[in-house]
Amino acid sequence: MSLTGRTILHLDQNAFFASVEQQANPELQGKPIAVVGAGHRTVITTCSYEARARGVKTGMAIWEGKRTCPELIIVTGDNKKYTHTATQVVAMMRDYTNLVEVYSIDEAFLDITGSLALFGSAENIAYGLKARIRHRFGLTCSIGIAPNKLLAKLASEMQKPDGLTTITPEEVTGVMERTPIGELCGIGKKMERNLHLLGIRSCGQLGRYPPEILRRKFGLVGEHLHYMGLGIDDSPVIPDEQAAPVKSVGHSMTLPRDVESRQEILRYLLQLSEMVGRRARRYGVSGKTVGLYVRYADFDTSFNRQQTLHDHICLSDEIFRTAVSILDTEPLAQPVRLLGVRITNLRRRNEQLPLFHQERRKVLVTEAMDAANSRFGEFSVTFGALLAKDEAKGSFVISPAWRPEGIRCVDVQ
Amino acid sequence: MEQIREPIRTAVLFTPGEQIKPVWFDWRRRQHRIVRTTYRWQEKQGETLLLHFAVTDGETLYELIYNVQQQQWLLNSREAG
Repeated sequence: MSLTGRTILHLDQNAFFASVEQQANPELQGKPIAVVGAGHRTVITTCSYEARARGVKTGMAIWEGKRTCPELIIVTGDNKKYTHTATQVVAMMRDYTNLVEVYSIDEAFLDITGSLALFGSAENIAYGLKARIRHRFGLTCSIGIAPNKLLAKLASEMQKPDGLTTITPEEVTGVMERTPIGELCGIGKKMERNLHLLGIRSCGQLGRYPPEILRRKFGLVGEHLHYMGLGIDDSPVIPDEQAAPVKSVGHSMTLPRDVESRQEILRYLLQLSEMVGRRARRYGVSGKTVGLYVRYADFDTSFNRQQTLHDHICLSDEIFRTAVSILDTEPLAQPVRLLGVRITNLRRRNEQLPLFHQERRKVLVTEAMDAANSRFGEFSVTFGALLAKDEAKGSFVISPAWRPEGIRCVDVQ
Repeated sequence: MEQIREPIRTAVLFTPGEQIKPVWFDWRRRQHRIVRTTYRWQEKQGETLLLHFAVTDGETLYELIYNVQQQQWLLNSREAG
């Protein structure tokens, strides 16, 4: 098929984590399985199609999943398997075009407009990718091909698992007419309800709705909604190296149990500060603002504060001390369930050594620690306070912002 | 999975195309012939590259790890059955 204008391909790996586990352990194939995190207080991160057919959903607690589907098999996820597989799949995509935008660990957009002459057609590229992923990993994916990202994503959702759907420019009006608005990427449950109140149920209706009313009701988003209803999306596929610089470096963790002891809270804050500082130093950035996020045991209450400093910092102990000073501004209302530390207001790091002996020593010690950790693995050399408790340290959750390389490539356990 | 983390003696085929294929391994005085490698992945711990292999001897699923730097094989875990 030849599309006029741009040709965009969206690839979505089907039930990614669960499919990887079913390939790794053939005993799990054809069975309802749910993948959960390695932590103590984890939820279902994804589940197999067999589990979905029995009503199990992402985000359910394990007991909820088991109640919904008593034969559900719980598998503790192995993030290394998923990040390695995703990195390899992205490398395969780059064999077809350099315009690859990794959208999440299991989704990517490819602008293949300039590759059609070389590979013959968009379908050739899609079948080639599907065959290579299946051959190397035994995994299936759904692919959508369309003139823009919005429609390519919509197309990939149309046939799951293992689908290939093309929306040609001539088919756009008809497709939009019969597509419910909730199926468009970018229209969440709340917006869907708001549009229903206006009597808008299909994308076709959204496209025909007077744009000035949408603008009045939703502001700038209203205009965007109008174009979405028409199936128009000019957003480019942006490869990682051309993406806007990151605005923050942060880590958060759900604690193994709710914590009241200040000493214990500080230990977790130090660990998070070291993870933030280490990643900032590795990628040569420092931040002027430190943010602290605390979620309490009741899950619904939290606070989020930040403090802006005179200078940019990236040393873990400086991030830690600022985080503690923020913590001290707010009496803790309940035991703590989750902690997060981040630096924002970023700039490229100044390589100049400090003038004064004490600061200079601190920088040199940090550099020595970083060099040892780069060689032997994270937390091989760390603060004495973190050695008190024999708990695994590091990131245990793959963030939606994860990317196969660069500052967003967080090494997950 | 039952964690084992024991060094093991392993027979391996190095095939063209950068494929490393474990053939059998000895564990607890028994030779386990690998009938299928079901998945392979890798990770870096600092500068050390670790190659992971999910393998089955037809009865049990095992995870083997090859430490490229130290050239050592480890039986990491087996599926508790």
